[in-house]
Amino acid sequence: MLSKSAARTFFLVGTFVCFFAFILLTLDTVRRVPKQTNADQITDSVKLGKKLWEDNNCMGCHTLYGEGAYYAPELTKVYSRRGDAFIRAMLTDPESMYPGERKMVQYHFTDEELDALVNFFKYTDGVDLNGFPPEPDLNTNTVVDESGEVAAIGTRPKVFNQMCLACHALQGQGGAIGPSLDGVGSRMERKDIYNWLKDPISVKKDSMMPKLPLSDEDLTELSTFLSLVKE
Amino acid sequence: MKYQSQKVAYVFFATCMLLLGLQIVYGFIMGFAHMGFDALHNIIPFNAARATHNNLLVAWLLMGFMGAAYYIVPEEADRELVSIKWAYVQWASFVVVAVTAVIGFHFNWWEGRKFLEIPRPLDYLVVVNVLLFIYLIGTTIWKGKRYTTTSIVLFFGLLMAALLYLPGMIPTENQTMDSYWRWWVVHLWVEGVWELIMGGILSYLLIKLTGVDREIIEKWLYIIVGFTFLSGILGTGHHYYYIGTPRYWLMIGGIFSALEPLAFLGMAIYAIGMARKGGRNHPNKNALSWTIGCAVISFVGAGFLGFAHTLPQVNMYTHGTLVTAMHGHMAFWGAYAMLILAIISYSLPIMTGRNTMNGVASGFAFWTSNIGMIAMTLAFAVSGIAQVYLERKMGMDFLTVQKEIQVHFFGLVLAAALFTLGIGVYIYAFIKSGIPTKELGTNPDYH
Repeated sequence: MLSKSAARTFFLVGTFVCFFAFILLTLDTVRRVPKQTNADQITDSVKLGKKLWEDNNCMGCHTLYGEGAYYAPELTKVYSRRGDAFIRAMLTDPESMYPGERKMVQYHFTDEELDALVNFFKYTDGVDLNGFPPEPDLNTNTVVDESGEVAAIGTRPKVFNQMCLACHALQGQGGAIGPSLDGVGSRMERKDIYNWLKDPISVKKDSMMPKLPLSDEDLTELSTFLSLVKE
Repeated sequence: MKYQSQKVAYVFFATCMLLLGLQIVYGFIMGFAHMGFDALHNIIPFNAARATHNNLLVAWLLMGFMGAAYYIVPEEADRELVSIKWAYVQWASFVVVAVTAVIGFHFNWWEGRKFLEIPRPLDYLVVVNVLLFIYLIGTTIWKGKRYTTTSIVLFFGLLMAALLYLPGMIPTENQTMDSYWRWWVVHLWVEGVWELIMGGILSYLLIKLTGVDREIIEKWLYIIVGFTFLSGILGTGHHYYYIGTPRYWLMIGGIFSALEPLAFLGMAIYAIGMARKGGRNHPNKNALSWTIGCAVISFVGAGFLGFAHTLPQVNMYTHGTLVTAMHGHMAFWGAYAMLILAIISYSLPIMTGRNTMNGVASGFAFWTSNIGMIAMTLAFAVSGIAQVYLERKMGMDFLTVQKEIQVHFFGLVLAAALFTLGIGVYIYAFIKSGIPTKELGTNPDYH
């Protein structure tokens, strides 16, 4: 049977070999990470964004690169998912963006800080995470739309995917905070949709929907698209 | 108990009880917030509750390790602690730092890096504090009449834990490297050197409780901590799959972390084996329950449930979901919380000369808290798996999924209530034991 000194040797040698290998791998990782993470794109603004991310413990609710808490959405790829304007609006007044929903602390960021956070998310969006987050592979939303190709994912305005789907669903995809947008074109005229999107409160006083940061082009594009989403 | 200075452990253990109680309160705040009851949002937002819950855990586990070391080391080294006064200073300063940190979290004063939220200025105080602790323990062993494997393993575990706190302070502007160094601390603590501490404390308890020969127990201690480091060091790679580090970590992390359960399995077989082998019928059955329980539940929580989502193919989907919370709760409970409750159960009757830790109440505390924790783990598992399928596999919106799984948090809160009941009885028994007596060895039965 194994003696105590043999057991000690096993422990010391095993530990030393593994630790040595770990140090070598760490040196290699330190060498490779700048390229994989586009370190040349880490501007002063991105650095400030990272600092704000830490100073406000954003990871106490959200995850980034899958790390953090599980109370609020994963923010990896949030820049391409929601876009610049949505992120700014959300950071400025979170409660009006998701009325009556799970709450986020309202921080009072300056414009420079908002820029920094957006730039930070934009930077993290481009980092090669070895395939994370995964594409949903059981998504069965391949229903052929009766109203023609307008509602197909490829032809949706980008701003529709970034803003509207945060709260509303179309063809079963999107949020469940506002009503579904299926067939909205049969219920509302293009002009009414335009006015509604421009300022919901002016159309319906008790509307929960926030006034979104939409440009005139966005309004035209969205109202045209939505008016074509027929039953 | 042979030495007066061992009683220093009492204040550490009492602080453990207090911080554990508070940790549970913050756990409830989060459980209710997940159910949609977030009335406290304006005073204690989720991120404050989360940071407090995690850091109270780290603080009371460290307190427990320190208390255990102060209790075990004089006896193993065969001499009094070098300074009782400085040990109390070290305790008090640790409490001050921990309390300051926790209060700071409620005023947005922190470093938002998971598990290492303590603000940087306090980090330096932690370092000074731990250096003092290491000095006191180290010189006691150094000046002692004998060096035992148990005390050496315990000492090196504590020393390495202190040293490994430092990589977390390496400044970097790259989010990826920030995470990289952070896991050097967190992973190499809980799946590395903390297991040395765990092995050391378990050995001490098994030597005392089972009466098995020290040489045999310490031989197995080397083999188990050997396996821990063989798997655990390179197993750090399971945190480096998807954070922007090279692809080879998928293979290295996958292979080595898949071996991690072996160390925990070894620990469980070792504890049960020694308990069966030992001819000694130690009267403190309660301490033996917690000791064996610790070895078994750490295998289930840390080993088995960790393995369940450690392979990169699985982790791709479970990374950053409630599945992690499932594993985390039972792993910390089994490996470290139960270990400290074991050493408290063993040492408290000896220190106070009163035995409130035996009988119906102690059995109730043990079983209720364990059944409660198992039920909590199941609630996290169900909600985590549902989240993985709905969000990651089907592509449903985050908040929509959270509403779908809300009901499981009701289950979680119920399970947590059961757990709390068990812990409440344990703390009650702790308080009823009273404070340590002046004289030594008032209760020879419990040595």
